[in-house]
Amino acid sequence: MSIVPKETIEVIAQSIGITNLSPEAALMLAPDVEYRVREIMQEAIKCMRHSKRTTLTASDVDGALNLRNLEPIYGFASGGPIRFRKAIGHRDLFYTDDREVDFKDVIEAPLPKAPLDTDIVCHWLAIEGVQPAIPENAPLEVIRAPAENQIYQQKDGPLIDIRLPVKHVLSKELQLYFQKIAELTMSKSNPSLFKEALVSLASDSGLHPLVPYFTNFVADEVSRGLNDFLLLSNLMHVVRSLLQNPHIHIEPYLHQLMPSVVTCLVSRKLGNRFADNHWELRDFTANLVALICKRFGNTYITLQSRLTKTLVNALLDPKKALTQHYGAIQGLAALGHNVVRLLVLPNLEPYLSLLEPELDAEKQKNQMKSYEAWRVYGALLRAAGLCIHDRLKIFPYLPSPSPSFLNKGKGKIISTEPNKRKLSVDSSSAMQVDKPMGDDNPPQNSVQPSSSGQASDGNAPESRNAKEKEGSKGRAITMKAILDQVWKNDLDSGRLLVKLHQLYGDRILPFIPSTEMSLFL
Amino acid sequence: MDPEQLDEFVMGYLKKKGFNGAAKQLQEALHNNNNNNGTGSSSSFNSTDYHNDPELTKLIRSFSQSENDPTRYRNGYSNLRSWAYNSLDLYKHELLRVMYPVFIHCYMDLVGKGHTQEARAFFNSFRKDHEMIHLRDLQKLEGVLVPSHLEEMEFARSLRQSKVNIKICQYSYDLLLQYLHRTESTLMLGIINEHINFQVYSGQPNSSSDDIDAVTIVGSFQETADHVNQKEIQWGLLEDSLEDRLEKTGSLLTDSEKGQGESKDGDVDDSNKKRSTEIGKQGSSLKKLKKDKAGNATAKVARQETSTVSPAPRVKSELALPVMSTDVEESILEDLRNRVQLSSVAMPSVSFYTFVNTHNGLNCASISHDGSLVAGGFSDSSIKVWDMAKIGQAGSGALQGESDTNDQVAGPNSRRNYTLLLGHSGPVYSATFSPPGDFVLSSSADTTIRLWSTQLNANLVCYKGHNYPVWDVQFSPFGHYFASCSHDRTARIWSMDRVQPLRIMAGHLSDVDCVQWHPNCNYIATGSSDKTVRLWDVQTGECVRIFIGHRSMVLSLAMSPDGRYMASGDEDGTIMMWDLSTARCITPLMGHNSCVWSLSYSGEGSLLASGSADCTVKLWDVTSSTKLTKAEEKNGNSNRLRSLRTFPTKSTPVHALRFSRRNLLFAAGAISKPTS
Repeated sequence: MSIVPKETIEVIAQSIGITNLSPEAALMLAPDVEYRVREIMQEAIKCMRHSKRTTLTASDVDGALNLRNLEPIYGFASGGPIRFRKAIGHRDLFYTDDREVDFKDVIEAPLPKAPLDTDIVCHWLAIEGVQPAIPENAPLEVIRAPAENQIYQQKDGPLIDIRLPVKHVLSKELQLYFQKIAELTMSKSNPSLFKEALVSLASDSGLHPLVPYFTNFVADEVSRGLNDFLLLSNLMHVVRSLLQNPHIHIEPYLHQLMPSVVTCLVSRKLGNRFADNHWELRDFTANLVALICKRFGNTYITLQSRLTKTLVNALLDPKKALTQHYGAIQGLAALGHNVVRLLVLPNLEPYLSLLEPELDAEKQKNQMKSYEAWRVYGALLRAAGLCIHDRLKIFPYLPSPSPSFLNKGKGKIISTEPNKRKLSVDSSSAMQVDKPMGDDNPPQNSVQPSSSGQASDGNAPESRNAKEKEGSKGRAITMKAILDQVWKNDLDSGRLLVKLHQLYGDRILPFIPSTEMSLFL
Repeated sequence: MDPEQLDEFVMGYLKKKGFNGAAKQLQEALHNNNNNNGTGSSSSFNSTDYHNDPELTKLIRSFSQSENDPTRYRNGYSNLRSWAYNSLDLYKHELLRVMYPVFIHCYMDLVGKGHTQEARAFFNSFRKDHEMIHLRDLQKLEGVLVPSHLEEMEFARSLRQSKVNIKICQYSYDLLLQYLHRTESTLMLGIINEHINFQVYSGQPNSSSDDIDAVTIVGSFQETADHVNQKEIQWGLLEDSLEDRLEKTGSLLTDSEKGQGESKDGDVDDSNKKRSTEIGKQGSSLKKLKKDKAGNATAKVARQETSTVSPAPRVKSELALPVMSTDVEESILEDLRNRVQLSSVAMPSVSFYTFVNTHNGLNCASISHDGSLVAGGFSDSSIKVWDMAKIGQAGSGALQGESDTNDQVAGPNSRRNYTLLLGHSGPVYSATFSPPGDFVLSSSADTTIRLWSTQLNANLVCYKGHNYPVWDVQFSPFGHYFASCSHDRTARIWSMDRVQPLRIMAGHLSDVDCVQWHPNCNYIATGSSDKTVRLWDVQTGECVRIFIGHRSMVLSLAMSPDGRYMASGDEDGTIMMWDLSTARCITPLMGHNSCVWSLSYSGEGSLLASGSADCTVKLWDVTSSTKLTKAEEKNGNSNRLRSLRTFPTKSTPVHALRFSRRNLLFAAGAISKPTS
């Protein structure tokens, strides 16, 4: 029957005060109502067309009613779309969301910003039949290539499926840009300019067409330039900038990019000179990998698992060089504490036993080897330490101590780790330590209380860690009772801590908030 | 057929018609017949007559079926439909053409007999078949549910009264008749007989889809249209027009060039100077100047070639045309001399005026003939006129000296940089500039047309005459006269000095949506919601041509500069090129997928530009589409797409287009924020 059900007619009749409408009358009226509404809507469409619009508005309907000498419907010409709400319990019943407005609120509300005045902007849509590539014009080339292909296919019918290769046209400007960036990356002579380039890469909005070229460039150069430390470092910075750029859709190119990045993390050799600080590059790349996993881990579920698999394989293969182990550990550590806890800690004991002979200065004559071994040891220690620190921090967040309390905390430093080996955790890895820690408890960093209780061996980085621990310690004391309770519950962490202590000796202690440590010791 | 059953039918029929006596007799006879069955049949009534004659049987059967049974329509139609869809591919498209008229008349029959519910069900189950082509009609018809609506609705009435012409080949026609007879679907046969007029031709069926006028839904109307289109029209250009004069002076120039080389140099210098001063006056950018210069050299050569190809006939003007001041004449001549020759290989430059912050209020835009003035009509009854030349100058001034003009720049920046014309009391639907750009006419929903002066920035005259919103108003090519069209289904001719219309053109069956002047000012064309375009003689007020072929309302019109062709764009994005003398569509130009708001021919008529709601400006090659028709007649089919270029904008529907006299294309539109 008609779209308008007779119930609607009855309801409307009631609403305007006609109570004795017979059902037959409603039945007769319903089709006519539909016809009239359709008529009005057709007139409204005419008004819409003459207003050069393709969406119908309430004013068009008013215009149509006007044409018919009917009174317009008031209250809908607000400009914005009318919000309809579903009536609860009825599937097809809607009502307009008409809130009651308090006059006081309206009067007291600040005046809305005046709308911008109409203006005209002039630009060249085409010059002698060619559209100039200016921001006012729609990006033409990207749109056109596939469209032409489609037309071509349609003409030929469904039988012949000819796909023309999509011609990717790069504008002159983009080509120049790419060349310049590539040159800068390769030349390494102008660090300040390169920095500018990185900023541009990280922020420019029009670079998307270049992404495939950049990924290709990075992959090529990494495979070719493994001996060139600076180049690799530059390339990784380029990758980081590309990842940072919010206007670039880099996901389709990740699979090309990842091998190069992982190479820079776990390659046996990065750079050929002794002076090359490839540790730093590995640390940087580790962070990069973590960044990628964080951003795309949700869309590509296999990404992180594949990555950790690669890294763990590299770590557990005793034939691999220590540098590779270091990269793997850093990579895993950067992926987060859970990864460390699940993948590194179980393997810690056998691994350390393997590492032990290398660490011993007497047994290992090769100075370089020994240095590398200590590096790996340091990285492992840090990873494990941060992991356990994180475990311990799960406890309820404690209120920050009062300033007076902090002042009270001045005391002497007790060296708990009599570290005789001079090649222990060095500054570079300590800097890395600082970064994640700083995020966790920023308020303490500004104040620099000396520790009264436990502290580090006096090594600059360790002591800095210790200072941070101090803060948590201060809080810990106030909440000692609670903490004890929680601490006892967390037997798992306790066991872990015991194990770590066995493995590392006292070196693990700086990572552990003092109260907990006192408890466990 | 079972004779017993047949007898029953006859009985039923007799009873229904009230022949009770006859029914009784028949019953008795039948009774006797049955009793005597074993002995012999000759003694009975003449029952054998109708038992043995198949024709009669059929007739009886058709009578016997209860006439009010709505399912008959459904069954008959669906059988016919499946038969047509299963027919041979060669004849299928011709047979399918029959389906639409049958469909709508079945529907209207059902409605007419009061079977509202069945009609709606029938309509919904088969509407999909016809939506492709007849969507607009279906939307209109869908609302018809009660017999009284059929009477009330003009469209339905005209459908009921008129016949549909369908071109069909002999074999298809025979197939159809055979089918209808074999299946005894008298109902369908009746509808087809009543409402379809077959134009049977011998030979092979036409290949599908290229015959746009194979089905014309307006039968009796078609005859009047044919009749109207017999009339003679003088589509030639005006004699002694500026273009004529230009050709004369052009040839003079070449003569003098031959004679004396020195004066030629002087001439060129002179014209360069003139041009530069003029450009300064127009305030157009440097790019334009360069372009015009570049095109100038080629232009002269090409012009001489084309002028010999097809000299359009000259006609006298039937209107008293205004006298043009010599200054204006000079500047026009100068523009014509500097016109860039366009063709399929020489594309124009397009300058786009984008309206920003219109808050969805821009109803129309108009560009003056030199492109320096832009007017926008808004739904809040206002008209805003921008002088692009001034804006350009202000901008360059600010660039040149920032320090000393600081105060001056701040002044104009703080106030608005357009002139606001207030006076209408309803949405402004159209605006048009007089050729020299000194007047603006605007039409509005308040049923008035207003004349504004761009020099005084004030309203001069209010023309009242239409009874409903005035959709469109257009100045004649020479100014002074203007044409308007309205929802009241009329188009009117006015002159600036009278407040009453000079002519009223009535005849369209629905709103007149757009109007356009013929270049020689003797005719106007109007496009309407009744899907036709009409050409009217301005002097007599008679309709001289009816162009049938559009499938939805006509939104824009353009006349070729030589007066021979006309282009019209509709709501679906189809553009049709018409030959004015034959009233035939030369070719439909398909490509836009939304309303074509604006059309414009280039100065010498070689290109057609179209602006659409799909945010593109398209350029069409007119010369090839007119030439190819001859080849097409021979080949039967060829590629119809002669789109040369498509210029997409950044989500800006194109409201207005204008080729300047120098063949620079101006376009205007309001940017619409992409809805997310």
